[in-house]
Amino acid sequence: MRLLLIIVLSAVLIVADSRFNQVTEIRSAIGTGLAPVHWLGNAPSELSDWVAGLFTSKDELQAENEELRARLLILERRALKYAALASENNELRRLMNSSEVLDDRVIVGEVVAVSPDPFSHEVVINRGSRDGVEVGQAILDANGLMGQVQQTSSFTSRVLLVSDSSHAVPVEVVRNGLRAILLGNGDTDSLELVHVPDTADIREGDLLVSSGLGGRFPKGYPVAEVDRITKEQGEPFVKIEATPLAKLNKSRLLLVVFSPEQEATDQAQETAPATGADVPEQDEVR
Amino acid sequence: MLSVISYPVFAFSIVLALVLSSSLFPVEWFEFRPEWLGLMVFYWTFRAPAQFGILLAWCLGLLLDVLEATPLGVNALGMGVIAFLVLTIHQRLRMYPMPQQCLMVFLLLGINQMLVHFIKQILGADDSGFSYLWPALTSAIVWPIVCVVLDNLNRKLG
Repeated sequence: MRLLLIIVLSAVLIVADSRFNQVTEIRSAIGTGLAPVHWLGNAPSELSDWVAGLFTSKDELQAENEELRARLLILERRALKYAALASENNELRRLMNSSEVLDDRVIVGEVVAVSPDPFSHEVVINRGSRDGVEVGQAILDANGLMGQVQQTSSFTSRVLLVSDSSHAVPVEVVRNGLRAILLGNGDTDSLELVHVPDTADIREGDLLVSSGLGGRFPKGYPVAEVDRITKEQGEPFVKIEATPLAKLNKSRLLLVVFSPEQEATDQAQETAPATGADVPEQDEVR
Repeated sequence: MLSVISYPVFAFSIVLALVLSSSLFPVEWFEFRPEWLGLMVFYWTFRAPAQFGILLAWCLGLLLDVLEATPLGVNALGMGVIAFLVLTIHQRLRMYPMPQQCLMVFLLLGINQMLVHFIKQILGADDSGFSYLWPALTSAIVWPIVCVVLDNLNRKLG
């Protein structure tokens, strides 16, 4: 009797979840309740970090500090140059009467768990809807694009990595702007570039950056590098393998990107009730 | 059947199983991770069939669904089925020596994995051969340890 009950209940839930997306709130509520599980799971590594921190000598710290300072200097110089280039770029865009490019804001998150299902590539990060994270935001690590937010609860959110077999990123080749779609194939160190014609100008070693065309990922973040191109006689498309630049199964610290459009709509939503006036529809910033 | 069971041990074991199934396992060996929550459901319905039943197992499965981000109800159904099968055979199960119990753990968790895999396939996951059965095997291997540890805890604290 009870077995029948749970079979019916499960069937209803499964259909409601997978076909009609009706149970997102229940899932998010249970997810919030399960946040302690993620914290507990993460506790041993934090503890070992802390213990390692206790036993680091002053010399090591100083050496590390110096190294970091040197690196900071290099990056700052690059940032200076970048600021000049960005303003010049905006100036040029204004001359051409196109809209300005705004810089993205990021927050730093940390991976607290990995999906228990070995056939899906997902991680859980310690930033949730309380930090303003929303479904669909892009996630980066220090080297490139990692994935996108798939679900949020109050304290954690679930990130689908670019290597998951259900994930696709619109990309372009930096060298010549050739557009293509980069698919994950369930392997953390190989992605697949599809629908590239036989005659397209693409070489091994080409850098692929997000093209921003899907409207989901911000434009211009490095995603992968072309690794191997196989041409087969009689096939209309070439087979291209690419290596993701982000360290998909190693990075612990990652960045959640807030694109300027999203910020703009957020602000519009916040200010609209306060002023009582109609806020004009925000233009596409890019 | 145990004469006494300790509810704190129950709560602790469930939380531990959830933590273990979301982290604390080398990424390279993910395929071989035991189905911890399934083992707990097996243990508790086996040792205390009067207190723990299908509905509780179903609720625990729901938690696992949220952790794994599978459609809600998939693992819940699997756990419910484990509990049901344990309830139907637990009287015979108590007579079995340890190796035979391990075999039953393998069979029951295997059925659970098959069911979960089957539903996922219907919903459009990709097929990866029979490797989804590894957790059932590893669970059967760790079953004696889990069983002895939990029995001792129950006896001391119950």
